[in-house]
Amino acid sequence: MFIYLRNWCFSALTFVFLAGTFTAQAQGDALFKAKCASCHQPHKNGTGPKLFKVRQKWADEGAKDGSIYQWVNNWQNAAATDPYAKKVSTWAPSAMQAFPELKKEDVDAILDWVDAQPEPGAAGADGAAGAAGDATTDSLATEEESSMGWVWLLMGVIFFIIIIAVGGVRRQLKFAAADDAGEEVNEGLTYSEEFRTWAWKYRLYVGLATLVIVMSAIVTLFLRGYAIGVVEEYQPSQPIAFPHAIHTGTNGIDCKYCHNSVTTSKSAGLPTVNVCMNCHKQVNGRTPEQQEQIAKVYKAAGWDPAGAGKYTGKSSPIVWNKVHVLPDHVYFNHSQHVVVGGIDCKQCHGDMTKMSETAKVQPVSELNKIEGNIVLTRPTLTMGWCIECHGEKEISTGAIDTRNDGYYNEIHKRLLNNDKTLYGNYLKDGKVTVSELGGWECAKCHY
Amino acid sequence: MKIKFKVLASIALVAVSILTLGSCTADADSPGLEYMPDMYRSPAIEVYVDYGEVRGTEIKDMKNRLSALVPPMGTVPYYGTDSATVSLMLPYFRKANIAFKQTHGMYGADLTMVDEYALAIADKNPLRLNAENSEAMFKQGKELYTAMCQHCHGEKGDGNGPMVGSGAYAGVPNYTERSVKSDGQLFYSIYYGLNTMGGHGSILNKKQIWTLVHYVRRFQNADYGKFDATGLAVVSAVAADTSKVTK
Repeated sequence: MFIYLRNWCFSALTFVFLAGTFTAQAQGDALFKAKCASCHQPHKNGTGPKLFKVRQKWADEGAKDGSIYQWVNNWQNAAATDPYAKKVSTWAPSAMQAFPELKKEDVDAILDWVDAQPEPGAAGADGAAGAAGDATTDSLATEEESSMGWVWLLMGVIFFIIIIAVGGVRRQLKFAAADDAGEEVNEGLTYSEEFRTWAWKYRLYVGLATLVIVMSAIVTLFLRGYAIGVVEEYQPSQPIAFPHAIHTGTNGIDCKYCHNSVTTSKSAGLPTVNVCMNCHKQVNGRTPEQQEQIAKVYKAAGWDPAGAGKYTGKSSPIVWNKVHVLPDHVYFNHSQHVVVGGIDCKQCHGDMTKMSETAKVQPVSELNKIEGNIVLTRPTLTMGWCIECHGEKEISTGAIDTRNDGYYNEIHKRLLNNDKTLYGNYLKDGKVTVSELGGWECAKCHY
Repeated sequence: MKIKFKVLASIALVAVSILTLGSCTADADSPGLEYMPDMYRSPAIEVYVDYGEVRGTEIKDMKNRLSALVPPMGTVPYYGTDSATVSLMLPYFRKANIAFKQTHGMYGADLTMVDEYALAIADKNPLRLNAENSEAMFKQGKELYTAMCQHCHGEKGDGNGPMVGSGAYAGVPNYTERSVKSDGQLFYSIYYGLNTMGGHGSILNKKQIWTLVHYVRRFQNADYGKFDATGLAVVSAVAADTSKVTK
């Protein structure tokens, strides 16, 4: 009985102790998030230095006992009494906020929780490594494909040489055999004369083969002709391997955050490097490949990521290569299409949330697969493509009222006032398309 | 001898045809054939196009050396002739602190030794809410917030945006738990940045930032900017609590 009671007491005490530790941890978590997280992280320097095992660090590097708690309450007091704290205060130009309300137990609870946080390297790198791995396999596959092409060409050459060689040997043997038999050898017969006799002998087959070859040559010529001015699949190499999938897919950044002139300007706009740095000041990449690319952003921005990180003032520009090239005689305005037309970016640019490479001109077959897109047949960025879409797209709700400055109000008014039969014709199919309100007029895009 | 020459000739023919065929392989770096290239590469200037080489002539001075620049400091966007709007769009009169030079770049900006963030507490939001414009203001604010802020600060302003969720970014505060800041300090933080957050003055104009200031107020008080049937505000403007300002 006594033993039972003792065991019970013991386990109850253990439970109380464990629960105590657990609540302390939870309290540390909550306090860290409320007070520290906007500047500090457990394993990464940010506005403030990383806090993992910071008490031990202070003790090892000769800080006075307890000065870290004084630091949290008011760093200036700590810096005045402890030379080590004075040194820490020069870590970054931004000063830490004072937290006089945090007691020693609170600071210990926070730092206990921080010390219990595992290094994110193992778990965090998985997703990113997966994405990077996919990209590598992709490029390997394309490389293999093109090298396969060369293998076939090489084999073709070898076979051709063998055929010629065997033919030559056969010819020599024929002459030799004729010579042996004592017949007259007509060595004067050239390859072409021999070919002509052969061709005449099998004129039906030769004629058919020639017809096939000529036809395919004409077809090829036309196909190549149609490819003039078609820039589908154009994907110029860029100074930084920018993965749209990670930025707008995984991290859910709106297209308009970086391409922020899209609603107000003809051009969608490339982000200036200070926009990149709004996130990349903290995000420096998980894999070596990512770190290499982000280092280029740092170089452009003149950011030295060592320690707290600081801007050095030595910036260098990034030169991106233009992907969607329109002829100079075509006028295209992004804001008109996005604001008045209400067209989603993916109608023309494809689903960038899944595009792990740099931007390219998406072929129309890919664009058609995307849900919500108007299905078109002509190649991307050709005039046929524009015209087809202007004929299909209904004008967006709001384009004939005051919400979007009533872009079509004037045309609407004229239709109502002048010729009601014309308006009636437009409404017969139950929808008003862009082309019916002037979207097919030459001077809309060419002037 | 004659035969040998013919073998050589045919090999040469094969080699040439293979080279011709080989040049047909797709190159992602090439835009393909162009119909009348001079119409594509006209000397008229278009954004992001490299004019270092036009019609076969190389012009070194025109070579593309950078893609994007922020507008020069003090640039005023054209905003019509309405004097109220124009004065709203004039350059922000508060300067960034000298410490921002190292932490936020601020290339070319005027810096000051004075703690203008503390002074900004007195600044009032020039966009006044009333029963008529409130709904439109918050609708526009939502659009701006979705595009510009949501990926970090989260749809509800709780600091749990998709970037934080994916583990890419940490340390975004929860608006709802934060002690109330003044409108002026909210503006200052969006314009110049605060701690890890970068400045957004280059991608948002002043009208847009003041609209966002109204919008984020509603995270702290769900009734902010709502008006009753008589046209009176349900809550008066969120008071700037000077005792609890967090930095």
